Amino acid sequence: MKVLKIGAVWCNGCLVMRPRWQEIEKENPWLQAQYFDFDKDKEIMIQYGIESGKLPVFIFLDKNQKEFLRLDGEIEKDGLLKIIRENRDK
Amino acid sequence: MAKKFLLLLTVLLVFFIPASILYAKDNDVILHLFWANGCPHCAKEKVFLQSLKQKYPALQINEYEITGNRNNLELLQKTGQKLSADVSGVPFTVIGKKYFTGYYNDETTGREIEEEVKCAIKNGCSDIVETLQEKNKTAIDMNSTPSIANLRVPLLGEIKVKNLSLPVLTFIIALLDGFNPCAMWTLLFLISLLLGMRDRKKMWLLGSTFIASSAFVYFLFLSAWLNLFLFIGFIIWVRICIGLLALSTGTYYLKDYFTNRKGGCNVMGDEKRQKVFDRVRKIIQNKKLLLALGGIVLLAFAVNLVELICSAGLPAIYTKILSQAHLPAWHYYLYLIFYIFIFMLDDLIIFFTAMLTFQAVGVESKYSRFSHLIGGILMLIIGILMLFKPEWLMFG
Repeated sequence: MKVLKIGAVWCNGCLVMRPRWQEIEKENPWLQAQYFDFDKDKEIMIQYGIESGKLPVFIFLDKNQKEFLRLDGEIEKDGLLKIIRENRDK
Repeated sequence: MAKKFLLLLTVLLVFFIPASILYAKDNDVILHLFWANGCPHCAKEKVFLQSLKQKYPALQINEYEITGNRNNLELLQKTGQKLSADVSGVPFTVIGKKYFTGYYNDETTGREIEEEVKCAIKNGCSDIVETLQEKNKTAIDMNSTPSIANLRVPLLGEIKVKNLSLPVLTFIIALLDGFNPCAMWTLLFLISLLLGMRDRKKMWLLGSTFIASSAFVYFLFLSAWLNLFLFIGFIIWVRICIGLLALSTGTYYLKDYFTNRKGGCNVMGDEKRQKVFDRVRKIIQNKKLLLALGGIVLLAFAVNLVELICSAGLPAIYTKILSQAHLPAWHYYLYLIFYIFIFMLDDLIIFFTAMLTFQAVGVESKYSRFSHLIGGILMLIIGILMLFKPEWLMFG
């Protein structure tokens, strides 16, 4: 499983989520997570259709790089951990 | 013989000629004051008229409250027609055929009214309102005093609305107005660039100049609203509009509280945002400090003016309430400064935290949601009071 984290330096919610993800990644070293900037990585934004709506966005991909879950906004750490544990083998 | 005749004539004059011919007797004068609950200018004039009455015992003051008494409102309209006067605003004062719309202060409008009273006492005057009243005897509701009731709030019990002090109200509205983490994207972007700088002094200087300039723009904006309401706040329609604005703002905040549970910021105005970011980059990269400072001041003005126009609701509601308090001018501005401090609090916390820890931080939107809940309820209460019990919103 892989998580794509999409945010921006000017987005308050993204700044709130940053330390939460740092903790999650530290506690789950097996987890693959990659950050993309909304303003810099335009290709990824087009690929995943993130040109409008809310930031931050978290896209969960399976082993075949297929998206199986998308979340946006501020999400509690416990909620994220639950999703990650449940989908670890995907 | 001639002496005796003169003496007799004098005695006859003293006994039989009306005193009014011998002495210049004062004429009784009736001053008619049309006023409205919640109108600060009316309250100011009423205080002045009390002192005028003590000074001129021949003066009688008839007061007509127009928001709670339809007959009084009709009487005002008829008086306006008779005098060919615009009666859309109160206080509206009538002495004979002379009328005064509004009340600025004791030195200007007050003096004009006093001059007219003196003139009427000396020369007498025909009373138009009295004539109209005779046609409609039921219209009078003299000296009606608004009753100040208590508000029963669940959990908190009974609260005297008048005791909800202006500083508390200022604090809550300013917090609600300022606590919008999504609106501080310019500051967050600026911080992200400042953190990449090596010059700590320049970093602090540019950041604090941006915040101070933003605060100054907001101060000018609030002052403009306040002065507008001090000038035209007595017009009933202004109060009704602000009341409706408060109701819609309250509904909007409560809707946001229940629908936007996840937080996060909407991605909007990509092109506009990029333009602002390019400008911020250029300013930060400018090696001449003075030019960079000038640039950041202009940027703060430009960005905040756009934001202010988009979110004028709360400042308008707050300054309307503030204008209803009878305060010295410098008190009004102290309240505005306090409002701005609370309004800028989240910006200050984010800026200082970033500058001291060298890490950009965000504010959790759950606090913003909570402020929307409290603020939404408060706005609904203010809206209802502004429409039906405006005198409860008169502090000071």
